[in-house]
Amino acid sequence: MKKTMIIIAGILLAAVFVTSVAEDKPHVYINPGHGGHTGNDRNVVIPPFVQGDTMGFWESNSNMWKGFALMEILKKKGYKTSISRVRNTEDDDLALSTIVALSNASGADAFYSIHSNATGYGEATAINYPMGFYRGYTNQPENPKSMALLRALAPYIIDNKSTVWSQDKYAEYGDWTFQPGWGTQGYGVLRGNRVPAILDEGSFHDYYPEAYRLINHEYCWVEGWAFSLGADAYFDRLDLFDKGIISGAIRDDRLPRTDIRTMIGADKRVPVNEATVRLLDADGNELDSYKTDTVRNGIYLFKYVEPGTYTVEVSHPDYFSKSAQVEVTAQSKTYQNFDLKRQRNTPPEVVNYAPQWQEGDAPVRCNAPIVLEFNWDMDTESVEDAFSIEPPVEGTLQWEDANYRLRFTPTDAYEVSTHYTLTLNRSAKHGGGTPMEEDFVLEFTTQSRNHINELAIYPREGSTPHYKSLNAEFRTDSLIDAYNVMNYMHIFDAEGNEMAWNKRSLKYNDDGDDYGWVRFPLSKELEPGEEYKIVVDTDMSDTLGLKLAQPIEYHFTPTDVSVPLESSQLIEPFEVTTGFNSVDVESDNPATVKLTASSTALFGSKSLQLAYTFENQIEGGEMQIAAPEQEDAFSSSDGMGLYVYGDMSFNHLFAGFTPEGSADVEWVDLGEVDFVGWQFMGVDILSSTLTHTGTYHFAGLKMVKNGSKQGRKGTIRLDNLVKFKPTALEEVTLNNVFVSPNPASDYLVVAADSQVQGVELIDAKGQTVARNATNYVNVSGFAAGVYVLKVYINGIVSTHKVAVAH
Amino acid sequence: MKKTLFAFLCLLAFTVSGQVVTVVETSRLLQGVEGPAYYPVLNDAGDRLLFSSGENGTLKLYDFASNVVSRVSDGFVAGNDAFFGGDGNVYFVTQERGQGNLIYRTGHAYNTASGQSRVVLEAQHGAVRPAVGTRGGALKSAARNYSSSPSIGTAVWTQGSKVFVTVDGQDRVFSPVDSWAGYLWASLSPDGQRVAFFAAEQGIVVIDLRGQVTAMLGRYEMPCWYNDHYLVAQNATDDGHQFTSSQIVLLKADGTFKAELTRPTSMTMQPTCGGGRIVYTTIDGNLTSMRINIDE
Repeated sequence: MKKTMIIIAGILLAAVFVTSVAEDKPHVYINPGHGGHTGNDRNVVIPPFVQGDTMGFWESNSNMWKGFALMEILKKKGYKTSISRVRNTEDDDLALSTIVALSNASGADAFYSIHSNATGYGEATAINYPMGFYRGYTNQPENPKSMALLRALAPYIIDNKSTVWSQDKYAEYGDWTFQPGWGTQGYGVLRGNRVPAILDEGSFHDYYPEAYRLINHEYCWVEGWAFSLGADAYFDRLDLFDKGIISGAIRDDRLPRTDIRTMIGADKRVPVNEATVRLLDADGNELDSYKTDTVRNGIYLFKYVEPGTYTVEVSHPDYFSKSAQVEVTAQSKTYQNFDLKRQRNTPPEVVNYAPQWQEGDAPVRCNAPIVLEFNWDMDTESVEDAFSIEPPVEGTLQWEDANYRLRFTPTDAYEVSTHYTLTLNRSAKHGGGTPMEEDFVLEFTTQSRNHINELAIYPREGSTPHYKSLNAEFRTDSLIDAYNVMNYMHIFDAEGNEMAWNKRSLKYNDDGDDYGWVRFPLSKELEPGEEYKIVVDTDMSDTLGLKLAQPIEYHFTPTDVSVPLESSQLIEPFEVTTGFNSVDVESDNPATVKLTASSTALFGSKSLQLAYTFENQIEGGEMQIAAPEQEDAFSSSDGMGLYVYGDMSFNHLFAGFTPEGSADVEWVDLGEVDFVGWQFMGVDILSSTLTHTGTYHFAGLKMVKNGSKQGRKGTIRLDNLVKFKPTALEEVTLNNVFVSPNPASDYLVVAADSQVQGVELIDAKGQTVARNATNYVNVSGFAAGVYVLKVYINGIVSTHKVAVAH
Repeated sequence: MKKTLFAFLCLLAFTVSGQVVTVVETSRLLQGVEGPAYYPVLNDAGDRLLFSSGENGTLKLYDFASNVVSRVSDGFVAGNDAFFGGDGNVYFVTQERGQGNLIYRTGHAYNTASGQSRVVLEAQHGAVRPAVGTRGGALKSAARNYSSSPSIGTAVWTQGSKVFVTVDGQDRVFSPVDSWAGYLWASLSPDGQRVAFFAAEQGIVVIDLRGQVTAMLGRYEMPCWYNDHYLVAQNATDDGHQFTSSQIVLLKADGTFKAELTRPTSMTMQPTCGGGRIVYTTIDGNLTSMRINIDE
């Protein structure tokens, strides 16, 4: 009886004690952030899931699984819990004020808002670390216990060894510091929350490997376990629970991950799907087992493990099994990651390759990459050591497809018409360490061309283009690859500043063009008289990838072509097309021509545009236009010229004149159209060409095709035809000053008794086109014609009429 | 500036279903006198206002007639959940930290006539819930309760997904709509015939004293009775972390009419009603008094 009484009293006492303990259970309010798979949720699109697929990564899902885990664990640990949602619909996505009010009304002792973070920059980011917030400024919390709650949690979040952190420090902020809108806006679930409250961003879900992990419920469960340990630490209850967990990630020991772009550390290797993980006791008895999922994370977990020593064994049909002994202590997180070695059960061999060439086949392009495909992922170091080419070629080796494919790309090009032999020595090994059984040999012969060649460029060395609206043009013997082409051609001023292209007006070759070309308009005017240089990089390539052999660099000096000639008289302004007609010419190479008025004018508002096409490529063939009858006449002692917007066709342009009272036309050679943009083309004295000494009338123009592809079709424009007296070309020559050669094609050199202080070259319009503080001038870039060379000696100028001929 | 304000007020006139709502007056309260103020609570007459000075700060009482601010309590979070009982006195809860970081909550009553405050519910672990009665106030907890008098008239409060209505000393418990997360913000209409409360996942619900739902007003928060026929509430949106908009809206209690009293971008929140006056604060703690006119 006494015994019974004692037992009953004991039971009652225990009941009272239990009630008392139950009333004093810590109460944790859990808020899984976001919800509803809607606009304020976060979806990261990772294969195989498509955008919006609720089975893929949504922050609301992983937050909820973490919250469920925390709720389950805390209940096991004797806590009282409340949670703001247990479903994931739009209705469950409660407003922030509501969440706070529910927390306050619950009488909780702590509040956890569970989230993950994002940089917002997408797949290109490799940022992954945990971050947490309390209400207030950093290190100045509104409620000091909120900061204590966060600091109790942080160590258990950052010690996650299944993930890969980009920094090993948990970032802690006051939300007023981090989100200072309206002074103290911070985070809505912390505003007015009367209990110690934190918001944890456990990791970065737009770091894609982490998004794959967060799809795994067990990975989220481990974060819930971390929260429970943080709560235990905060409420001083770490010694009240006697279980631990074992978790980790299983990855291939070397196979690189290629399904996503940006990874760090161990995440660069493939996670192993569907690996079997067994938990064995000291006697080898299986206590539990786990199969990793198919969602590319390799995560496994054993929950609520009694303290002790265990063996974790991992197996997979494609890998060698592996095991590890682990120690579990109460309230611990025991991490054991596994790097599995694949079973590669045959020797490595090349199963496909390029180029595939045999004796008698067409030669191989001089920049063709060499590609070797293997039956296994290869050991990159041994393969690169085993790789050789004869004769040697500089190039780069690049691994692709998780080390199943090797690509060699020559840095520049192979030699032309050369036989190459690639050997992969049998020492090349696959990832498992087994070498090839025999050498692999590949041979090929290259084509006869390994670079593109410059056909023409403007501005070329020593040229004097018009300073406004410069169009730089580069031509090659094959079609230029327009991709990124504006990065390969440059114009620099004398100080080395690069001039900007007008990229929107860039023009380049089309399929079917006779040669390759690109034309770049400058976006700003140049400075007349200043020296510039044009540079073309070797990366300029054709559509087959062949590059320039050497970079190109030419110097030029822009001038103002529109400055009127002294004493010149306008004969024809070319403002209208009326009276201008194309003339049929009997020829083996007839041309069609289209006359229109163009608004690209140097003077007035219009110029006369001639768009022509010769029937074929051969040299010769004429395109003629007849001019309306002109009132003003020329005498044979006049100079004449006109302004031409050139097309760098290298065709010759002629002006036609009819003697007074005659229908015959005599042609004056104005020179090659070897430029782009406006230039003056003329002759200083008509009598040097015309046969009569009397009066002439301008009759028209003709163009004679040169023998290159560049002359077959083009467009030139004509403006202001003028006549002038060649006063600018009068000579005042000092004795003992000699200029030679005359005519010159490369250099004009001055010899004198006294020291020559400098020379100045003046064209037929009286404009200085070159200066040099020495006794010579390079005339190779100037149009053929008559010039004046001023020679400066002891403060005196000696003037010499010189001719440039090419 | 005055002209601008007037023009804005004129713009805030709404005509729906025959009603015209005009904001006739808004004025900043205690500007230059108080710092950021939150959780405003008006008494039934609308001539006294409780508020928290700062988010977890001092509970203060403002008297509109005398323009005097009195300090009610410096206790931690005293200002966060204070209320006027039907007897005109103030009831509030403070928090203290106990062993193992558990939170203990203490109930207080403040006599507005004498200016004296006293503890009415000893510190205890767990929730303490306010119950507003037509003749007094009560504080409810799992362990003990406090009531300002044996009968505080008709009183309403919530606990979990239940709304409690005490009429003539008899508790009636209703769960008229499903809500996993729970009910909040229960209040009795001035004529004592209806109860408005908020159900998470559902929004504002209006029931009669028998627990029958008379209207579902939508996903607004913090309802207060403007008069027997209209309620005022907060309408806020967020991105899951921060408020992206917040405004004050007027809702007809039968669900047939609603009108915006402030703009969504105004970040106005936490409305309270009494005596034909509406008071709300802003995200940065600016208290504002508003009067409106409703032409039926």
